[in-house]
Amino acid sequence: MNQLNRRRFLQQFGVSAGALPFLSGLPGMSEAFASEAGRRKRLVIMFSPNGTIPGEFWPDQEGAGFQTKRILKPLDQWKDRMTVLNGVSNRIGGDGDRHMRGMSCLLTGTELFPGNIQGGSDSPAGWASGISIDQELKNFFQSNESTATRFGSLEFGVAVPNRADPWTRMSYSGPNEPVAPIDDPRRMLEKLYGRMDDKESLVSVVDDVRDELKKVAGRLGTEDRALLDQHLGLVADLEKELARQDKDEALVHPMPEIDPSIELVNDNTPRISRMQIDLLVNSLANDMTRVASLQYMRSVGQARMNWLGIEEGHHGLSHEPDNNADAVEKLIKINEWFAGELSYLVKRLAETPEPGADGSMLDHTLVVWLNELGKGNTHTLENIPFVLIGGEKATGFQSGRYLKLPAKTPHNRLWLSVAHGMGHGINTFGNANLCEGGPLPLA
Amino acid sequence: MNYGKPIRILLLTALVSGLAGTGSAIDLENHPGKAIYQRLCLDCHDWDGNPVEGVDSDPLVGNRSLESLAGRIERTMPEDEEHLCVGEDAKTVAEFVYHAFYSAEAQARKNDVRTDLTRLTAPQLQNSVTDLIGGFYDANHPHVITKFGLRGDYTLDDRKRAGNNDFERVRFNRDDPLIRFDYGTGVPKLPDDVETDLTQFRVTWKGSIFARESGIYEFTIRTRNGAKLWINEQDDKKEPVIDAWVAPNNEIREQSGKIHLLGGRRYFLRLDFFRYQEAKSLIELLWKTPHGVRETVPNSVLSTEWSHPQFISTTPLPADDRSFGYERGSNVSRVWFDAVTSVAFEAADYVDENLDRLARIKRDDPERSKKVRDFARAFAERANRRPLTSEQVESRVNAHFKEADSEKDAIRRIVLQSITSPQFLYPSTAFDSPDDQWAKASALALAFWDSVPDRRLRESVEKGELPNPKEVEKRARRMVWDGRTRYKLQGFFHHWLELSKADDVAKDESLFPQFSPELMADLRKSLDLFIDEIVWSDQSDYRQLLLSDQLFLNPRLGKIYGKDNLEGSFQKVSFPNQGRTGVITHPYLLTNLAYHNNTSPIHRGVFLTRNIVGLPLKPPPEAIEFEDSKFPPNLTMREKVTEMTRAKACMACHSTINPLGFSLEQYDAIGRWRQKERGKPINDDSVLETDYGNRIDIKGPRDVAEYAANSPAAHEAFVRQLYHHVAKQSLLAYGPDTASHLEKRFRDRNYHILHLLVDMAVTATSPLPPTPTDS
Repeated sequence: MNQLNRRRFLQQFGVSAGALPFLSGLPGMSEAFASEAGRRKRLVIMFSPNGTIPGEFWPDQEGAGFQTKRILKPLDQWKDRMTVLNGVSNRIGGDGDRHMRGMSCLLTGTELFPGNIQGGSDSPAGWASGISIDQELKNFFQSNESTATRFGSLEFGVAVPNRADPWTRMSYSGPNEPVAPIDDPRRMLEKLYGRMDDKESLVSVVDDVRDELKKVAGRLGTEDRALLDQHLGLVADLEKELARQDKDEALVHPMPEIDPSIELVNDNTPRISRMQIDLLVNSLANDMTRVASLQYMRSVGQARMNWLGIEEGHHGLSHEPDNNADAVEKLIKINEWFAGELSYLVKRLAETPEPGADGSMLDHTLVVWLNELGKGNTHTLENIPFVLIGGEKATGFQSGRYLKLPAKTPHNRLWLSVAHGMGHGINTFGNANLCEGGPLPLA
Repeated sequence: MNYGKPIRILLLTALVSGLAGTGSAIDLENHPGKAIYQRLCLDCHDWDGNPVEGVDSDPLVGNRSLESLAGRIERTMPEDEEHLCVGEDAKTVAEFVYHAFYSAEAQARKNDVRTDLTRLTAPQLQNSVTDLIGGFYDANHPHVITKFGLRGDYTLDDRKRAGNNDFERVRFNRDDPLIRFDYGTGVPKLPDDVETDLTQFRVTWKGSIFARESGIYEFTIRTRNGAKLWINEQDDKKEPVIDAWVAPNNEIREQSGKIHLLGGRRYFLRLDFFRYQEAKSLIELLWKTPHGVRETVPNSVLSTEWSHPQFISTTPLPADDRSFGYERGSNVSRVWFDAVTSVAFEAADYVDENLDRLARIKRDDPERSKKVRDFARAFAERANRRPLTSEQVESRVNAHFKEADSEKDAIRRIVLQSITSPQFLYPSTAFDSPDDQWAKASALALAFWDSVPDRRLRESVEKGELPNPKEVEKRARRMVWDGRTRYKLQGFFHHWLELSKADDVAKDESLFPQFSPELMADLRKSLDLFIDEIVWSDQSDYRQLLLSDQLFLNPRLGKIYGKDNLEGSFQKVSFPNQGRTGVITHPYLLTNLAYHNNTSPIHRGVFLTRNIVGLPLKPPPEAIEFEDSKFPPNLTMREKVTEMTRAKACMACHSTINPLGFSLEQYDAIGRWRQKERGKPINDDSVLETDYGNRIDIKGPRDVAEYAANSPAAHEAFVRQLYHHVAKQSLLAYGPDTASHLEKRFRDRNYHILHLLVDMAVTATSPLPPTPTDS
């Protein structure tokens, strides 16, 4: 099927037709919705790779009166909504090079399994050995009828290469279970708003497929059966979604317009980024999910940011020594660009009214920007550039300050704070030894 | 482990050449090595070869040969008391260790390795759906080219001069090698027997085009006139890939269009062109392949033979798990599940749209209803990989015709269910036993093509031929000669040579101004041509991949790699004086395995050690990153690496990595021959200590290549890696001595790669039977 046919195909099945979307399962202004509105808590995590340039990232002055430097400058507008967190470190040791651990332990706060993926140094490793904070909160929200949403969480990607390894995955639904981000806006759109005409066909076969799977699985040994059991779980999820869809009501926020023909190539990254952010904000506004992540590239990502006039790959640049002024300047520009995308995301949240309550969605949505390294050319996992924005009405965190925590504060404690802020009062997260001291003093 | 009952193992000659004869059995219980092991090894290793508590050691498991293991024990064991176990003792204990738990065969016996349940990988899903549908157009369609070029139908007519109804016309046809014509103010060259003064003309070229790789292809028409291009679409009423029919001002212009194609296949191509009262005419057909640069579509991919249409899904599929060292379908996820559903819907749309042709329904066909039902049943059956039970016919076919609102809906549902069924997605679940003939057909089709059986294979099963191993091999030999096999084998070589690294390569512009995407595309093509020529020649000799001193260069590459006077397209050039030796000195690999501003002996050495020489490497004991700026600037790369890896802990592996990596120091970071670095002559001599205890002088890459070409460890590594790519299962799941059997056959037949591939596909039809259900 060529590109043109593909476009027609998409139009035919759900992209542009104006009727009720298939598989939407969206709450409108129903009773449950109204009573629960205004008390929603949401978390958005944004990742950018390869470390920062500390000199142009960290403010000089602590507390409320801090001034942003170049990298945070694009976020100036949100200064009083923002907490810049210094001292937080990924203290997870064990297998895997620092890029791998930086990435796959970032949201999990736990060690990688030993494995056979060899990095540039250290011992080889496999996937992370525990759940990531976004998936933990997804499960928490999904376990309660009043906070459950259709998807529970959505994982957006921008220019994530098509390969599955510890450098490309940060979100884990459990040990050894990385969650792949979707970096194609077309596919995300299809996932969110579906393909309308096909519901009936799907309903007609899904029962049979489930029965066949069960029958086949019954003949297998334990290990092999586990794979089919997982598959059965996915079929069951689909059945639930199909059932929910019957309760359809009108969308609170209309589906965003997406050019269905956009090609996933490096130079389209800025456009793809904005499409993904629009879809992300839209999915939150329609309460399809309350947890979302947005992953730019991957750890060791080699994006060539031609749109900034930078020809070299990002990771290559990040290895250059501090005295390479040209490289440093380029890295500052790259990080400024990420900050600009974050600013756009925050702006979209700020200009969207919180459904059923005063104020904007930003008041109820905590946005966390993070990185797998503190600094690119040292590969340090200490002093990772964490920025928190918004969500004060959900978390009770105090914002508008530059907060310096003791050096080497384990990032596990930050995830504890976030969990507590979201109403999930767990005592430890990830490696329990690193949770000593409990949540960070963010309130 | 309790050795209470004697374990008797049949040894094959190939396994322990030089140590035991065919058929000799080894009695581990009374083996003299057992006593030595008990005396000298048990402090640190238990009876299973695992480290005892508190000892920092890996399990004694690996892929060294027996000789190599003995050498290793002699030199390094017991730690700090190496003199205790040398000579015959070392050999004896090595034999015990090797057969008790060290070798893959021993592990296979101990662990009872069987095939794992896997789903179709991403390429397998794409190919299987494409051929499942395509099989209904024309079941007999090898994707090879026998007649190169395109058939051109030429018509000259001057309508204006002759009037609309009855005009002069001259027609002729001929095969053109490729499409690049500048007719100026004239007309196409006329055949000898044609004479005319007509000046207006049109041409329709038809044939097919072979896609080497999977991905997006961008076609470009360069013309002053009107043209349209269709790919994979025989109906010229359907939308073309490029519509350049309207030509303003007779000026040269370019128009492009993109299409997704699966590699290893031919696709129908049609190009329409006309000139009408324009001063000049010109046409050229160009393309840009995935990883390629824009070029005239070359003769080597054009065929005058047609190809049936093929359904190509455009759903992106998530990457397959590669944590086993090769890609396999060992996990399912929501993203994958959604992608499968999307592929199934695309397929349903396609079948719906093309039903009449797929089911061979004529206009006003009185048998329409029957044909639709026959098609539906055949479709469900082929997706099921074996005949349906009557119960399945009911639930997968008949029920839908009863319940759906229309025939059209029923067909869509049947396609949807067939493609999402476990038997289609998890091929082994379709069969009760691997001995089922349909299972064998399915295994062959997956091994060669990553796809479903074609008509000939199905007929073979229907005739009851496949229980006969000779017939299986006969089928297998035929299946080699198909573009899809080429594609699969090409995928292996790209994996073996770690070409995915090329995606991230960048070079310092000031040092390497020649570096560009065009250079990378040319080098990739050069490497593919080199591999193709060897693999698909009569000898198909693995050793030539390592030993040939030739490179394929085009004029652009010639300028960079020291051959200034080349003309035309890619051609073979010998480099007798530069030590060029096969793939290991191909500039594409040397470029990928290098830093942006310098060579990288460590990257090159690790690659040579693991992939080419076939020795295992442990992960580095401590993390050291190569930081160029930390060394005095006057040191050579070799000196820096030597300095950095000086520690004893490093040298455990770097005593192998460094000599191999240094052997390539005469090639710079883009693989050019060099004699000096920082004004100092290159030193690429070193001594490689092999596991056999001997020391080999390495004077450049040729010595490495010759060592690898003749080394059993290298052969073992090659066979194992290729098998994993072909069958996507552990080789041990096909019997403990299958590996050594394949290696022996490989050696006995002069390292013939295609023969090896056939052997492997045949092997893939006979996994060990599954262990009984443990529920």
